[in-house]
Amino acid sequence: MTVLVVAERTGGRLAAASLDAIAVGISLAGTTAAVVGFAAGPGARESASDLGQYGLARVLVADDPSLEGAPPCAGAASVAAAADRVGADTILIGGTTYGRDLVARLAVKWKASAANGVTEVTPADGALRIRRPVFGGRATETRTLAGPRRVLSVRPHAFPPPPSAPASPTVEPLARPEDPAPLLGPKRTGVEATAAGLGPSLGDASIVVSGGRGVRTAENFHLVEELAAALGAAVGASRAVTDAGWRPGSFQVGQTGRSVSPQLYIAVGISGAIQHLVGMVSSRVIVAINSDASAPIFRVADYGIVGDLFQIVPALTAEIRRVRSA
Amino acid sequence: MEIVVCVRPVPEAETRLRVAPNGQTLDADGVKFVLAGYDESAVEQALLLKEAVAGSTVHVVACGPAPRTEEVLRASLALGCDRATWVEAPAEFAADSIRAAGAIAAVVRSPLPDLLLCGKQGGDDESGLFSGALGEHLGLPDLNYVTDLRWDAGTSRFRFQRATEAGAERWEAPAPLVVGLQQAWNDPRTAKLPNILKSRKATVAKVHADPSVPPGAGQPEKFELPAPRTGAKLIEYKTPEEAAQKLVRILREEAKVLP
Ligand SMILES: Cc1cc2nc3c(=O)[nH]c(=O)nc-3n(C[C@H](O)[C@H](O)[C@H](O)COP(=O)(O)OP(=O)(O)OC[C@H]3O[C@@H](n4cnc5c(N)ncnc54)[C@H](O)[C@@H]3O)c2cc1C
Repeated sequence: MTVLVVAERTGGRLAAASLDAIAVGISLAGTTAAVVGFAAGPGARESASDLGQYGLARVLVADDPSLEGAPPCAGAASVAAAADRVGADTILIGGTTYGRDLVARLAVKWKASAANGVTEVTPADGALRIRRPVFGGRATETRTLAGPRRVLSVRPHAFPPPPSAPASPTVEPLARPEDPAPLLGPKRTGVEATAAGLGPSLGDASIVVSGGRGVRTAENFHLVEELAAALGAAVGASRAVTDAGWRPGSFQVGQTGRSVSPQLYIAVGISGAIQHLVGMVSSRVIVAINSDASAPIFRVADYGIVGDLFQIVPALTAEIRRVRSA
Repeated sequence: MEIVVCVRPVPEAETRLRVAPNGQTLDADGVKFVLAGYDESAVEQALLLKEAVAGSTVHVVACGPAPRTEEVLRASLALGCDRATWVEAPAEFAADSIRAAGAIAAVVRSPLPDLLLCGKQGGDDESGLFSGALGEHLGLPDLNYVTDLRWDAGTSRFRFQRATEAGAERWEAPAPLVVGLQQAWNDPRTAKLPNILKSRKATVAKVHADPSVPPGAGQPEKFELPAPRTGAKLIEYKTPEEAAQKLVRILREEAKVLP
């Protein structure tokens, strides 16, 4: 099979989610030779050489300036054209907001079977068998995507990163195909960075530390942020915190906020309401710190400390700093 | 402004999930279906726009089987939508968001409305495929993960934000547009009793989904519930320092999530 991996750029480098897509592409195709990269928009050429770090030998680049500030759907025609040029039967994208939207467009445009946020992909008699969490991680579905074409996004952090195998890929420019639809109408006019650029973003981070009403005041929330900083983690919050205005809505994890699935999720002073759980229950390892041993969060956590967060969290931050500097 | 809002029946949040006897899907037997939370936000958004822009109408559309699909359409009418269309299709058909989007696109294509709203993803399968597929079927741009959508009559543009990994993006776009809504920001209204009673008698237009619309989301093979989490392993300690040391050791050596 031939796989096209769509690279996404954030903060001047390949998005972590794109590495997941590369890893899946290489394992499916069995060889980096059958994995072709695709990068669009500003920084596409830098992405091409970054893709080379994982052994990709060929990258198609659509560095069309009209894609700057354009909606994700505007890139779909270029991705489909790239897939056709290299004879790909499978397109893989990181499961970010950008990737998930692109998958939906490509499913129709490129007439492919599609799935978002897959955590496992295996070949099955010419088809692909995928698994993905559904119902906020309360169940898992397995589906078969028949050929001849498939387009998938890969759930962030669900796969180990691809091995480093530096190569210098050939870079082929790709003109943006004529697209009859008025897809360039919507324009992005600005971005307010999450958490003022502190540490990794919620969607991308492999560790998330979230605080809840238990921290009591906006000022105390810095305890959560210091623990996150010591771990190199992103900071999240329960709705109690965002509703109280202690931190902005972009911090919120849960049904009405963001869904995260990091390697490690630490819930500090969060009770574990179902609306919070659906946003984090598919994290690989969950730690809860809560003074109430009967809090529902302990039922989904792997490890728990029953205690006063004002004592436990500073001790934990100090311990992390100690082992990190050792 | 002509607004179409697409909704979908999903099991209510408190449902105890069970596996169907064939092992392939959720067991829908005895499950109560409601408007998905994301769709509630979409309906609320449609109604807010209708209130803000004089002369607007809100047309609610859903694809799926009886009786759950008709029920969520009536619930939307009770909230204040003006008319409803039920695109009747078997549950398996409607469970494929790409296919459902194709069937709904056929119904709303002419005349094209100014705005098509839906939730950012299904409240059940979370496929996140609907808004993009609908946009592509109609040849319209789609933006997903949208919050705080407004119509700026002065410039004839929608203005909205989008919640992405990078933060809160600000956008503007002309009509017609497909929008998937993030649930976070609006506080959906609840229906008043007289409106609920009225919605029971309201007309729901019914069409059959075109069976030739191709599937897109593959075939379900297995539906599994995770082994129930056994609950947290609680760390025993005498001092906060001891608790911290024990936890860090476990995270490094046992769970291997820290270097
Ligand atoms: C439609 C809807 C959507 C929602 N969406 C979301 C969502 O997306 N995300 C979300 O998070 N919530 C959401 N909620 C709200 C949710 O139901 C809960 O109200 C919320 O998650 C509670 O936040 P919390 O756990 O921080 O607060 P609480 O439930 O008040 O819990 C605080 C916890 O802190 C502990 N605590 C207190 N003091 C200390 C201390 N000194 N040391 C240690 N622990 C301490 C307490 O034991 C308690 O368990 C939603 C609700 C509705 C109705």
